[in-house]
Amino acid sequence: MPLSLVSSGQTVTIQDVRGGRKLRRRLLDLGLNHGAQVRVVKNQMTGPMIVAVKEDGRLALGRSMSHYIMVSEA
Amino acid sequence: MTPTIALAGNPNVGKSTIFNTLTGSRQHVGNWPGKTVEKKEGRMLVDGREVLIVDLPGTYSLTAYSIEEIIARDFIVNEHPTAVAVVIDASNLERNLYLVAQILELGVPVIVNLNMTDVATSRGLKIDAKKLSERLGGIPVVETVGNRSMGLDQLKRTIAQISENPPQALPQAHYEGVLGQELAAIEAKIHENELLTTRYSPHWLATKLLEDDPGIIEEMKAIGAGEILSAVQTAQLRIEEATGEDAETLIADRRYAFIGSISTHVLERPSEAVETASDKIDKIITHRIWGLPIFLLIMWVVFQFTANVSAPYLDWVDTFINETVYGWVGAFMAALGLGASWLSDLATDGIVAGVGGVLVFVPVLLFLYMALAVLEDSGYMARAAFVMDRVMRWMGLHGKSFLPMIVGFGCTVPAVYATRTLENEKDRRLTGFLATFMSCGARLPVYVVFGAAFFGALSGNLIFSMYLIGIAIALLVGFAFKHTVYKGQPPAPFVMELPPYRAPRVRDVLRQTWERTKGFIIKAGTVIMLVSIAIWLLMAIPVGADAGAFNNVEPQDSVFGRTSEIIAPVFAPAGFGSWEASGSLITGFLAKEVVISTMNVIYVGTSGEGEEAEPASTFLEDVGSSIGSFIEAGVLTVQEILNIIPRTINLLPLVELPEFNFYGLEEESEDTTSLQSALVASFTRSAGSPEAGAIAAIAFCIFILLYVPCMVAISAMRQEFGWRFVWAQIGFTLALAWVAAVLVFQVGKALFI
Repeated sequence: MPLSLVSSGQTVTIQDVRGGRKLRRRLLDLGLNHGAQVRVVKNQMTGPMIVAVKEDGRLALGRSMSHYIMVSEA
Repeated sequence: MTPTIALAGNPNVGKSTIFNTLTGSRQHVGNWPGKTVEKKEGRMLVDGREVLIVDLPGTYSLTAYSIEEIIARDFIVNEHPTAVAVVIDASNLERNLYLVAQILELGVPVIVNLNMTDVATSRGLKIDAKKLSERLGGIPVVETVGNRSMGLDQLKRTIAQISENPPQALPQAHYEGVLGQELAAIEAKIHENELLTTRYSPHWLATKLLEDDPGIIEEMKAIGAGEILSAVQTAQLRIEEATGEDAETLIADRRYAFIGSISTHVLERPSEAVETASDKIDKIITHRIWGLPIFLLIMWVVFQFTANVSAPYLDWVDTFINETVYGWVGAFMAALGLGASWLSDLATDGIVAGVGGVLVFVPVLLFLYMALAVLEDSGYMARAAFVMDRVMRWMGLHGKSFLPMIVGFGCTVPAVYATRTLENEKDRRLTGFLATFMSCGARLPVYVVFGAAFFGALSGNLIFSMYLIGIAIALLVGFAFKHTVYKGQPPAPFVMELPPYRAPRVRDVLRQTWERTKGFIIKAGTVIMLVSIAIWLLMAIPVGADAGAFNNVEPQDSVFGRTSEIIAPVFAPAGFGSWEASGSLITGFLAKEVVISTMNVIYVGTSGEGEEAEPASTFLEDVGSSIGSFIEAGVLTVQEILNIIPRTINLLPLVELPEFNFYGLEEESEDTTSLQSALVASFTRSAGSPEAGAIAAIAFCIFILLYVPCMVAISAMRQEFGWRFVWAQIGFTLALAWVAAVLVFQVGKALFI
């Protein structure tokens, strides 16, 4: 399912990133690769969300971005 | 030959602090050739030997998608530094290692600087630096805490060591299976081309080709390596068939696997996810409901800081330049025997007044930049962008665009430069285009004077309305552009790192503040000074037979006055079709404060300073009193800083705390009553009646709010966005301002008269 639908506090694994090459690159650069573990710190279901990437950095992701990131439960 | 070390790393890892500690004052800041990105170089001295350190732009990777990355990569590939020191954030190991892995692939000696180890420890993370070094192929790993200068000596020595003896055998990434085979095949083809082998490591080149790196592909086409390109395409097809994944994803996956295995052996995490202090703070700061009010409160404090805290020194600079220095220059010219000449007037009214006009800005900018630097350094700015993202989306922008906008409330010039942080070109341009509607500090004096002249006690409302209208217009224009010029373009991807909160470091804040202010002073100093001289000339040249002599002419009869008269009818439908008004507006092209000072000259007849009535004081007396008033300004500044507290609390209804008043000063009333009455008279004349005059005054303020940015801002825009953008901006704002002013006047007249 898309990352945008994951509730706060849940941890998920990244499966796929839809969207153009540039977008995928950008996310790859920031640690969001296939198999990466991501914990949703805050998802208010509207507006951007905050995720913890591999328990290290915090990233703010725009809503449309998070629609493109497909994840599965960790 | 001095060895050169390139300093690389992700943004927010403390690279600048490391650079500053390594090079001290022996640094030089400029621009990368042909680009607008800042380049920092410095010299490090260790054991009597010198090493040149080049600070590369902070990047997350070495693809060719942003200017920063292109610059960083090109430097390493073309300039062949002796080694690359990569500064990494220990609390973010895997992501930072991604960049290290890419740099290693370039085949250049690497030193890993494991920085911010204190943050990692506070999060319960443990990194084994020795094991890290082993797993990275034996490259040196130095642990540091940059902002506490711990470990820097070891870093210096390691750098010196590597510069003396750069390692020969370099670790290479291993790609197995189909990927490895195809890579080897392409490498072989590359070896056949001599030109390529001398420039690049064949392994790295092959990897980049398979990854479809745009920069590399362009270069291949340029040198006519067509057959390599087609071989690459075939290889990519084969890889996809065999593995079901495209080459680029596969390579990225392998890199991450490499990094992941390092991480498992090197990094120890606490058993449970620790909720960091930052997370706790963020719960409130990014709260769905409280986030925005908190943001507004913080911005209010910044506004107070910039507007009021800078006032004492602003007044000091104003007095110092326009009275003290003005007097000195006048006396100097007299001593040269040029006392009554036009040359003396040019030196005082032209140059001193002109330069003064620029330097008066400086305290305001200093305090603005300081406030912003504190917010940025503490990590709050990223959260502010997060909170403002929703509002930005109406304009077709996103959260990151908002920092330049905020800066625009102080001055449009730094706002334009601040757009550099936006990666998307369209975002950059649109933000830069809308920045001018954030009413800058220079337009404020106009609102204040007109407010006092026409609306007395209600002037505060007028001023506040102007700011709101500016914001509303920006939203509308952005919205309109989103659905017309930029229609159909997908929303720009919004990804932003939220660095952990930390106490802002004084040294870095001060340095940043000074860097930004200095650039402004130099730029504006040249442009504004030249233009001031030009205006002075235009007002000194008489037109017509009995207009007077050079430098002895009524403003109305000068070239300036006559030209303004020709233009004046354009503004008649807006209620201020007088030569005085249009002349003032023309000077506003140069700098918006000049509008008021021109009005003083035109309406009141004096340049406002240089009274002859006082007995001349000696040079030493002047110096003494200047120093005295400087100190007094310092005390007043502290007072104003303290006053932020009662003023903020007084926002709450029913609360009325007294403000500090160390010197027991009375509220000074602006001595502009002569200007004020002249304005009322003039506008009543051009608009037809006193009531209409007041409406015309509002229309005038609206025109000031919306029309072209000042000369310095325009030149910044030209530098960042090009001529076309500049003409579009000028044309659009002029048209918008005129239409708005006319509308306000005509509709206002119809409604209220």
